[in-house]
Amino acid sequence: MFVEYVWLTVLIPLLCFVIVGALGTRIRHGGGLITVAGAACSFIIALLASYEFFTSSDYSEVGYVTESLEWFTVGFGSTSFTISIGYYLDSLSCLIMMFASFISTLIFVYSLGYMGDQGIKKRRYFAEVALFLTGMIGCVTASNMVQMFIFWEIMGLCSYLLIGFWGFGHPEAKQKASAAKKAFLVTRAGDVCLMGGMFVLFFEMGSLDYVTIFNGANLAAADPEMLALASLLIFGGAIGKSAQFPLLDWLPDAMAGPTTVSALIHAATMVKAGVYIVARCFPLFCMNSEVMLFVAIIGGVTAFFTATMAMNNFNIKKVLAYSTLSQLGYMFLALGAGGYLFALGIEEGSEELMAAGALGYTAATLHMANHAFFKACLFLGSGSVIHSTGTEDMRLMGGLGRKMPITSITMLIATLSIAGFPFFAGFWSKDLVLDVAMDAFKDAADPTCYVFILLWFLGVVTAFMTAFYMFRLWFMTFSGKARENAEHCHGESPRSMALPLVVLSVFALAFGFVLLIGYDGIFTIELVAGNWIVGGQAGEPGFHWIEHLFTNPYTYLTIVLVLVSISLAYLMYSRGSVNPGKFNKDGQSLLYRVIANRWYLPEIYDQTSWKLGYGVAKCVDYFDRNIIDGSVNGLANAVIGGGDAVSKAQDGNVHTYSAVVILGIVLLFAVAAALVIFYGVIA
Amino acid sequence: MSGSLIVPLIILIPLIGAIITMFLSGSKARYAWIVSTAVAAADLVLCVFMMVVGDYAAGDYDFCASWIDTAGLKMSLIFTVDGLSILMLFLTAFLEVLVMVFSYKERDQANKFFALLLLIEVGLMGVYTAADYFLFYIMWEITLIPMYFLISWYGGPRRHYSAIKFFIYTHVASLVMLIGIFALAFEAAAVNGGVVDFSFEAIKHAAGFFDEVFQVVVFGLLFFGFLVKMPAVPFHTWLPDAHTEAPTAGSVLLAGVMLKMGSYGIIRINLEVLPLGAADWQWVLIIMGILAAVYGAYACIAQRDLKKMVAYSSISHMGLVMMAMGFLSDIGIQFAVFQMFAHGLISAMLFMVCGWAGHSVGTREIPLLGGLASKLPKFAGMMMFCFMASLGLPGLIGFWGEFGIIFGFYEFLVDENMIYLLVFSLLSLLLTAGYYLWAMQRTLFGDLTEKIDLSHVHDFNRVEMVCLCVLAAAIVAYGLWPDLALSFIDTYYLIGVI
Repeated sequence: MFVEYVWLTVLIPLLCFVIVGALGTRIRHGGGLITVAGAACSFIIALLASYEFFTSSDYSEVGYVTESLEWFTVGFGSTSFTISIGYYLDSLSCLIMMFASFISTLIFVYSLGYMGDQGIKKRRYFAEVALFLTGMIGCVTASNMVQMFIFWEIMGLCSYLLIGFWGFGHPEAKQKASAAKKAFLVTRAGDVCLMGGMFVLFFEMGSLDYVTIFNGANLAAADPEMLALASLLIFGGAIGKSAQFPLLDWLPDAMAGPTTVSALIHAATMVKAGVYIVARCFPLFCMNSEVMLFVAIIGGVTAFFTATMAMNNFNIKKVLAYSTLSQLGYMFLALGAGGYLFALGIEEGSEELMAAGALGYTAATLHMANHAFFKACLFLGSGSVIHSTGTEDMRLMGGLGRKMPITSITMLIATLSIAGFPFFAGFWSKDLVLDVAMDAFKDAADPTCYVFILLWFLGVVTAFMTAFYMFRLWFMTFSGKARENAEHCHGESPRSMALPLVVLSVFALAFGFVLLIGYDGIFTIELVAGNWIVGGQAGEPGFHWIEHLFTNPYTYLTIVLVLVSISLAYLMYSRGSVNPGKFNKDGQSLLYRVIANRWYLPEIYDQTSWKLGYGVAKCVDYFDRNIIDGSVNGLANAVIGGGDAVSKAQDGNVHTYSAVVILGIVLLFAVAAALVIFYGVIA
Repeated sequence: MSGSLIVPLIILIPLIGAIITMFLSGSKARYAWIVSTAVAAADLVLCVFMMVVGDYAAGDYDFCASWIDTAGLKMSLIFTVDGLSILMLFLTAFLEVLVMVFSYKERDQANKFFALLLLIEVGLMGVYTAADYFLFYIMWEITLIPMYFLISWYGGPRRHYSAIKFFIYTHVASLVMLIGIFALAFEAAAVNGGVVDFSFEAIKHAAGFFDEVFQVVVFGLLFFGFLVKMPAVPFHTWLPDAHTEAPTAGSVLLAGVMLKMGSYGIIRINLEVLPLGAADWQWVLIIMGILAAVYGAYACIAQRDLKKMVAYSSISHMGLVMMAMGFLSDIGIQFAVFQMFAHGLISAMLFMVCGWAGHSVGTREIPLLGGLASKLPKFAGMMMFCFMASLGLPGLIGFWGEFGIIFGFYEFLVDENMIYLLVFSLLSLLLTAGYYLWAMQRTLFGDLTEKIDLSHVHDFNRVEMVCLCVLAAAIVAYGLWPDLALSFIDTYYLIGVI
């Protein structure tokens, strides 16, 4: 009975947006409490609906439940396109719906404290985050791609508004407004690709309802080349939203927003939408193994390069932003590698390859959930630190562990989790991801499989770097001597900010154990007799993959590497017995400078976009003023005869004006006569 | 004389209103606003009445009276309403009311100002309902004159130049169109038993006998008349000039409804009557549309004047309409009309907001502005809303216009087997987002500007807020429920007619 009301999870935050937006200034906390209550209601409904979905055999055997109403029709007749509005629930949407509304609730509670001093601006903040939650849940529960796209864009709008939250009336307004614009435009570049992909898909499948487009028989009947094109274009949208290479540059800049926004939108939820759409379109992407190979390459490369960028950054939020990018790269690597195996499995009709490929799906979704918990915790922790020290520069922190015990411990747990310390949440999913990449190399009998050994290697190096830079962050912030700003820190943050941290850290610690209670039986994808089934059947218990994980020598390799890396960070940044300057010539080495400049990507982008945008625009403007308008004015001068048409026209002289009109008429009759003669000749 | 009197009333009421308003000079000028607003409101009521009551598509509101009826020449006063015109009628009446209310502060010769606005309404209502070519032409020209005076009397510093440029461009174009109309009428006479009958019906009846060469030539003549009005690149430079100089009310009507006369004419005459010509001109329409969409968007990026930027964005968006008409498909026409309607609402709001900035802040030069959001929050909110609507944010009306047109474009390209051309329409979407966001960044965000004196600047007052909120509500309502507009367009099956 709750499943039918799942649309309430979208409607309630929307209602909060309207109420807070309209009345916010007249309510206490700028409507914060209403927003918190709304998010909590959303979460409860999401939880109940998901519980019912997973337990009732009506739904779980089919694997999905969907219902939609006709909204309106575009076009007539044979190519008419009926756009409907409804919900589509399967284990993937349940998962995201639950963790998005849950984390939102916690972050809104945290915001009550964090944004407490913002006065009248709180209304805007709470209204916009409520709208964001609408977008996020709407995006994952939509029943068709058009509806998904609408919510997808609403999220983009909220991201823009919230990054630019301090875009005016703030000392750094200029830079913040610029970051907001960049975020919107770069994601927009992905969005137009996604829109193109939707059209390609529609003309192949005749519909954009998930039920129709992910039907195995329909997919098999369609033109594979067009499907590959559609997949690539849709992946373009995912690249923009999830900030993958080459559209990754907006996310570090997006840290200009309030830290709560970074935690919610640019770490836990919105940037997952790209992963979501690839996971949602998994059946479509699996129609072509090369598309999946491409996804894996983009993921692996992004994971590696962004991890390097985090290595020598001193801004606590920027480090977390790079690590977000890197972790998202892992998710795409898992989806790509799994999908690659799956696609080969379909080609060869091999059940085993398909089962191995499904692990990629499981790994990606699990890492997505885990990352939401530990990264939200890390961002909120860094928000606490920033709140009490007044700086984002880690060089000015240090020794905060004693002054902020709750923050430091919760952040330590989350750091261990993201680093992949054994049995913390991140460990399970990250090693599953690497495991899938290795499987893709070992199991596939295709020449392209050698790419995966390289991607696996990049993944392992990334795991090493992740453990290093995360512990560098933790040690620089919480251990050692208190430096400048840390000396006059306000101490632990209020309770409303501490509580969400504690809750999130529990999940960051323990969420990986869902593997033990059959996570991979529910969050998997199968192709049974030509039908795609996303989980739902609580099939085999999870011990299968756990066994696989622990009998795999590579798992132990990464564990060792992580431990080495943590100790290295400890020696460098906590005990100080190893001087990091020795390795980079005190920041002068070429590699160090290249990384510190983000591999010069921002400059390349700025230069090209400036030239392609403003440069061309200037040319067009010149052409418009001088060539087109110039010739018109020149013609006018010539017609009036020597005189300056403009100055004559400007005195409102009726004679000039009537002369022009009469001349025009005469000319036209001449033209008409010529045409009549011309026509007569032809006829 | 036969048929319903509602349409003639819709045209006569503003005409009478304009004459009355004209006489309210001097001390009575303060009544000019009240009278003209009431007259415009009455028109809006009648339009809504036609949309809701009765069956306009079945000809319930058609009106026919003979005017000149000799043995050899027939010109009649025929007015009809169908799915294509009804939305334009509504848009005109709706924007007229809003524009009147929004310009309530006009004090300088208010009687003439409001009379001119009403005269524009007379012409527009006539153009969208006329079913006789000569009547159509007269109405077309009627819109021109009051707009000319509106710019040249109430405009900015370069108003005379702009007004005359506007007049010459559109007048020359309409003369070319007139030649096309004569050609149609005389060619049709051969079929209609030697009577030169200008009515739509008679010419459409004869159109089946027009050969291809004739159709191609006449299509070209008429098309030229309409494309200058739309306007299409390279005949567009009158528009930015006219907009920068025109008063806010003039800009709103010019962009909101007058540009649509061009695209209305193309659908109503070129495509309906000359299908063979249309088939040959198809690629010209599409290429000119793409060119206008991309060129206009690029030109926007370089503009320094807010209103000029919005004017170029109109060129870009009307380019999409031109392109959509070129598909010669149901969906193309459907969304060309939808986009006309959508752009009418959105550009009206854009020009209200940007025009207001010129009046109240004192300048529209983007480099002089900055950080206005902290000083003028309502202005910032409204500007952000209409910019977002114009760049096609889903949930607002502009999105469906673009979505439908690109969908139709893709459908067309699939048939032609050249889907890579879709890149251009996607590029125009991206550029649109680019110039709007950049403009917002420089006007609303960043540090509060110190280049101009903002100490006496006040935010929107209540009346202005009401106007903008009504428009915003319409943009949201049609965005959430596009069927509100599509259901009217759907009653007009053009391709079925061909």
